[in-house]
Amino acid sequence: MVRLVKMVRRAARTAAVVSVASALAGAACSPSPSSDDQRPASAPRSVERLTIAVDQDRGPLNVFVDADPRLLELVYDTLLSPSPYVGKGKPWLAEEVRQVDARTWEARVRQGVAWQDGRPFTAGDVAFTFQYFKTAPPVGSWTHHVNDVPTIERAETLDAGTVRLTCAFACPDLGPITLSYLPILPRHLFEGVAKPAELTGLPIGTGPYRLTSYSPTSGYRFTANRAYFAGAPLVGEIVMPIIPDVNATFTALRTGEVDATTRSVPPELVQQFRRQPGLQEVTTTPLKFPELRMNFLRAPFDVPDFRRAVSRAVDRADLLRTVGLGQGRPADKGYPHPGSPWTNPRLSTPTDGREARRILDGLDFTDRDGDGVRERPSGEPLALSIKANGDEPTHVRAAELVAGHLKEVGIAATVQVIDAAALKALATSRDFDLTVSEIGAHGVADPTQFVMSHRSGYLWQAPKVAYPEWDVLFERWKATTTVPERTAVMFEMQELFNRQPTSVPLYYPEEHYAFRPASFSGWAESPGFGIVHKWSFLPREVARRVDALSQEFGPRR
Amino acid sequence: MAQYALVLWAAISLNFLLPHLAPGDPVDVFTGDANALNAEERARLRADYDLDGSLAEQYGRSWARLARGDLGTSVRYSRPVASVLADRLPWTLALVGLATVIAFAIGVAAGASAARRRGRRSDVVAVSGLMALDAMPGFWIGMVLLAVFAVQLGWLPSFGAVPLDAAPPSLAWLSEVGRRLVLPVATLVLATVGSTFLLARAAMVSALEAPYVGLAEAAGLSPRRIVYRHALRNALLPLFTHLTLTLGTLLSGAVVVETVFSYPGLGRVAFEAVQARDYALLQGAFLLVTVTVIAANVVADLAYPWLDPRVRRAPMVKPA
Repeated sequence: MVRLVKMVRRAARTAAVVSVASALAGAACSPSPSSDDQRPASAPRSVERLTIAVDQDRGPLNVFVDADPRLLELVYDTLLSPSPYVGKGKPWLAEEVRQVDARTWEARVRQGVAWQDGRPFTAGDVAFTFQYFKTAPPVGSWTHHVNDVPTIERAETLDAGTVRLTCAFACPDLGPITLSYLPILPRHLFEGVAKPAELTGLPIGTGPYRLTSYSPTSGYRFTANRAYFAGAPLVGEIVMPIIPDVNATFTALRTGEVDATTRSVPPELVQQFRRQPGLQEVTTTPLKFPELRMNFLRAPFDVPDFRRAVSRAVDRADLLRTVGLGQGRPADKGYPHPGSPWTNPRLSTPTDGREARRILDGLDFTDRDGDGVRERPSGEPLALSIKANGDEPTHVRAAELVAGHLKEVGIAATVQVIDAAALKALATSRDFDLTVSEIGAHGVADPTQFVMSHRSGYLWQAPKVAYPEWDVLFERWKATTTVPERTAVMFEMQELFNRQPTSVPLYYPEEHYAFRPASFSGWAESPGFGIVHKWSFLPREVARRVDALSQEFGPRR
Repeated sequence: MAQYALVLWAAISLNFLLPHLAPGDPVDVFTGDANALNAEERARLRADYDLDGSLAEQYGRSWARLARGDLGTSVRYSRPVASVLADRLPWTLALVGLATVIAFAIGVAAGASAARRRGRRSDVVAVSGLMALDAMPGFWIGMVLLAVFAVQLGWLPSFGAVPLDAAPPSLAWLSEVGRRLVLPVATLVLATVGSTFLLARAAMVSALEAPYVGLAEAAGLSPRRIVYRHALRNALLPLFTHLTLTLGTLLSGAVVVETVFSYPGLGRVAFEAVQARDYALLQGAFLLVTVTVIAANVVADLAYPWLDPRVRRAPMVKPA
């Protein structure tokens, strides 16, 4: 079964590159088949319809199932905007929020907003949402934002337009993080629903688009909410066919069957798409990276200095050059992502083989038999395995390079290829030394997730596994009452983490998106979301007002 | 029938056991990369999706569900498995059904014709050409067809089964469905016609060497009548077996073509279920394939006596 999956994915991936490359090469050598391949003098900012390929069927956008946040935010709004990845939330569904004291926040909700089914949006919906997330079945990235870090004890309405949120411990970052992240749900549709994951109806939000049609075999249709409180969207209708295969996606983009895609262009195809008539390619800075994770529960990774030695041994420039094809930045700023406003700008994780050797010598990991591989203090050779997802060729290549880097400092490492699900299962089984995988924006740009990752087993397993230095910092972090104070402790946590990391970023990649500028020219980058998000479809002044954009893309010259 | 019941039990048990024995867990996949849930929340999720308890308990519950006609709930889609499969099955049936009929018809006709011209240049060309075609992987054929007919010529759509715009059962909907079937069906036909052709040719060559053919020639029957009226009827028996045996495997075998064309069929959903370790969905998809294979065998067993009078003839001598 697993072999079949690998075979299919490998075949499809190889074919993807060959086919898209050959199709592009063919196109470059032959006259363009359609007249719209010629770039227009002026591209439209407001259009009736746009077709955007999505890479997988996520069901009818149920918040309590693994839904794509880029699609969810077309339908649902948050109290503040644009997202935790920008730093400071600006009023959105809430006209004003204020921190009353260390544990209490109050939000005055916007008046005159209606749900997409016509029912009025009220403060009761907001209070209900927070209470509901506390008791509803846990789901992905939402739950910890109310149930753990932070822990919201109570959500209550003070009057028709005001909500009070009370935390179990100080929560100065509730505004910029949770209130900018949690989608507000309609009370009249979720109240009394015990198993929300089983809801199959189309969602109703307050957002700029209403999902008016969904079919697992053909895709999504979103219709503009012309009465949207922030201003009418620029695109009347967004049709999103589901195209799971990367080759089929870019073939459809090339043929003009779709205008854009949520999928980024693979690095090896970037140059070809740059030369492709009728298409525009843009570069974004995603908040994600490939990482080398260490099993801190297993020797020798339970020794902090050993983990630092591994981090120093990894040649980040080599990884960027060879695996990332030079498209990005070397990961010498550690973990989390340096592009996050919550990351300590002073972090430094340079490659230093000499330092790695010195640390290993100091730990008594020395090469006693002269075979080039160090022995553990017990006498066993220091031989490790690196597991990587075979469906991700860049991860496998990165693992091979890391094995080479470790060999340079006397650590023998072999690469083992497994499938994606087996790799994810290692989080529970802990049957690994090292893994290469990828982590996205929520993991590397949301500071509360950084804390949560230390509690869930991803970066650590506090308080179950002893980590006194972390525990001290965690208690200090919990006691802080203002964002600057909390950020200062967070920076210390990050410094501690990078001194003895359990995850080493391999490089900070760039991402590339391609679209047909003749169809729509309003594309912009929002941190952590690429180019397909609601801010691309809202009037520019609205997006700029809340600092939602990090780059705006006009037609190329 | 007892044998078929035993086979069904064994197949269903294997369908349950194999995914569970593979490394990986649906909750791990469901909770995402950041692993944002604590142990209690994960345990609650497992209970919600009926994944708690020992393997034996889960096995018992899966039979109890099956007895009620319930295939369980897909973790990936949070929907009943029967509903997910029902969405996809018609598309796979259309794709595989059409491809099978066309490949069988072309393969048999070409095989019979080649056998008639055995050793001549046209036979050598047909055998070489179809053997080469048979050796080409399905995904590669699909890629070439895509590059030519969708990208370069722009004649046909490159993905999907039906656009959101077209509403069934209008003519526009039918037309779109037909257009989107052309390339995947052509790919499956090209990828499978070779084996049918070679089998048909071999069966026809054997049939044409049988004594009754010589008798028919001596009786003055035309070569065409001998080939298509007499020899082909006998040669069809192994081909019928081949057809029934491949029907079941074709249901899942279309996975590569469904992937290349992003066609929303059963193979694709089974592939995604493997990736997500969606046990219930995997078991449902495999059950469907298993039942199809067994049903095809039953059909073959029942149809054989009807097709071949020698099978249904009572034995001349009763055993002592």
